[in-house]
Amino acid sequence: MSILNNALSGALASQLALSASSQNIANLQTKGYTRQSALLSAVAPAAGSFQAGNGVQVTDLMRFSDSYKTQQLWRSASDLGAHSQTQPYLTQLEQVMGDDSASLSSGIDGFFSALNAVAGVDPTSTPLRQQVVTAANLLGQRFNSLNNVFNAQLQSVRQQRSALIDSANSTIGSIASLNAQIANANASGTNSSSLVDARDQAIDSLASQMGLEVSDQPDGTRNVSLKTGQSLVLGGVAGKLSASGGAAQTFSLTFAGTSFDLDTTKAGGQLGGLSAYEQDTLLPLQQGVADMAQQIAAKVNTQLAAGYAMDGSTPGKPLFTYNPGSTSNMLQVASGFQTSDLAFSGDGTPGDTGNLQKLVDIKSQSITVTKIGTMLISDADTQLVGRLAVDSQQNKSALATTQTMRDQAQADWQSTSGVNQDEEAVHLVEYQNMYQANMKVMSVANALFDATLQMMG
Amino acid sequence: MRIATSQYQAMMTQSLAVNQERVGYISQQMANGNRIQTPSDDPVDSVRLSRLNREEASVKQYRNNIAAIQIRLSKNEGSLQNMVNDMHSGRDLLVWASDGSNTPSDLNAMVVSLTSLRDSLLYSANAIDQEGRHIFSGTATDTAPIAYNATAPVGSRYTYAGNTNDQLVVVGNGITQVANQNVKGMEQLLNQLDQTINTLSASGVNANNPAVRTVLKAGLDGFDQAMDLVTGKIAVLGGQQNILKTLDANHENVSLSNQKAISDIGQLDYGAAAIELSGYQTALQASYKAYSKIGNLSLFAAL
Repeated sequence: MSILNNALSGALASQLALSASSQNIANLQTKGYTRQSALLSAVAPAAGSFQAGNGVQVTDLMRFSDSYKTQQLWRSASDLGAHSQTQPYLTQLEQVMGDDSASLSSGIDGFFSALNAVAGVDPTSTPLRQQVVTAANLLGQRFNSLNNVFNAQLQSVRQQRSALIDSANSTIGSIASLNAQIANANASGTNSSSLVDARDQAIDSLASQMGLEVSDQPDGTRNVSLKTGQSLVLGGVAGKLSASGGAAQTFSLTFAGTSFDLDTTKAGGQLGGLSAYEQDTLLPLQQGVADMAQQIAAKVNTQLAAGYAMDGSTPGKPLFTYNPGSTSNMLQVASGFQTSDLAFSGDGTPGDTGNLQKLVDIKSQSITVTKIGTMLISDADTQLVGRLAVDSQQNKSALATTQTMRDQAQADWQSTSGVNQDEEAVHLVEYQNMYQANMKVMSVANALFDATLQMMG
Repeated sequence: MRIATSQYQAMMTQSLAVNQERVGYISQQMANGNRIQTPSDDPVDSVRLSRLNREEASVKQYRNNIAAIQIRLSKNEGSLQNMVNDMHSGRDLLVWASDGSNTPSDLNAMVVSLTSLRDSLLYSANAIDQEGRHIFSGTATDTAPIAYNATAPVGSRYTYAGNTNDQLVVVGNGITQVANQNVKGMEQLLNQLDQTINTLSASGVNANNPAVRTVLKAGLDGFDQAMDLVTGKIAVLGGQQNILKTLDANHENVSLSNQKAISDIGQLDYGAAAIELSGYQTALQASYKAYSKIGNLSLFAAL
């Protein structure tokens, strides 16, 4: 009877193998699906019996996965995330600040051109004086609109981080609950492959948001912690990230009743990338532009105060008002300022250009800009944009490198875990053949049995 | 290496994305002719470009200033030339008046011409521009340069009320040019002329009277001095115009070399870009072909 039993075990094993292949083919396009295959092994004969064996059994449904490649996948997701989120911000700033006609440089050129034009025709010419006030207004608007872009970016970075934290919390929660389900499934001998796929996908999405350390546990669960060491998931227990504070956000992680403060600039991933962009690029740049506005306003106003207005006796009024905290009115022309208030005369006579010469000369004076140093007013914007360009270029090339690494890591992972339809076609044919062969064995056994019965009859 | 089916798809989408991005970028470059689309494409050259543009803006401003001053200077020159012409006529009249054969009524008749010449000179000296500023009063442009006081004794009724300060205009890096003029000295001629008119308008004035002759002689001297003064100023204006022309030519050369540098650094090399573009297009077409071939390859098709 062992022939029949052997044939039955073969037929059952090939069915299971066919079902594994069908599952693989069904998930040909499923992201993160890890292919499975029936692991067949021969069943040894019972002790003391002289038999070939007791057929075949499926000892395991094998998952084709390589934990090194999976870890690489997660690491590359963090590196990519750190650079991918900041590039749109950098590109936007570059486009705004680098535009030749809308840049601060051309605003400054315009203001000093207007001053020079007055000097060329006559310092008391009303239309030309009006042009100076208009150019001053335009200069202020350029500073203000750039400052608006900075503020919009800051706000957007902060909102994006809040959204990241929310999404990370839900991912952390699902990793913990999947961990618990996997531990249960493993304990009861259920195939946990699809649960593991779902959990690893969740870890991958969390890894793109922040840099992670992942360690495997014997029960099939994975513990997840930040690069800086704080635990996010331990078995089935999840931590919770939170952002608080208004303009300057602070971040903390609560795990099992204990709270830690987080320095997100070192968190890696999208969260770290955004925080580093905010701290290292955006805020210094905004400060640099504010420094420029403040010092240009101070220099122009001081020089104007040293001269005389058109009436020849009133000392000059300040042209610019600098409002340090204001978001949209950082640099303005003083309210009620009139063209006749411009103090171009150095000695009180209306045709004198002594003070006007000194005003024109301000363009070649030095100012001190945060993080860049001392430079000429005419060159300050160029240097700020130059610095931004270098930052952006670095990020672009880092982005390209990390994208390549991520693609490579994905290809590596696919190469082990991905489904190949031709391979599955071969499996289908082979296991179908195996099934039919076993059926044939059964019919042979049946024939033998019939022959035996006929001899009896 | 084992290849999963989805790896073909991933490879294909990556290669299409990369090639299409490059084709898009080169098309954008070709559309606006700029090699550098954003500063990060070439930070060093974009800083150089920005500095060249700043310098170009200064040079342009200097050239605009020079053009504006040149117009002012030639207008000033015109007014001064008018004054010289008036002075010539006045001097001729005085030479004629000095002829001893003139009858008193002849001399009285000259007073009308001399008076209108005096007023014309005063008008020219007190010339104003479109915005009402006096062009010959130094930097005191709100004051008429020649003031007239009817109550003062004849011979001191005209005084110079302007100043002799220069109005400086920047026409180059560290170079300034005087853009204004004054007519200090004209008041002496006008006073002299006033005196002469007063003398000649007396009834029975005799050209041979030594006192009259002295006045006429002084009037002639006054014209000579004033003509020296004004023609001297005209000569200076001519010299200034020449200097400005030279400066403008210098600026033009600098501007030309700046513009050349700007176009060398910033302009797209269309030839190279076209070759690059066709390279990426070929790669795209090849990718399409490859995908259509590989996509049809399946063992299932043979089963």
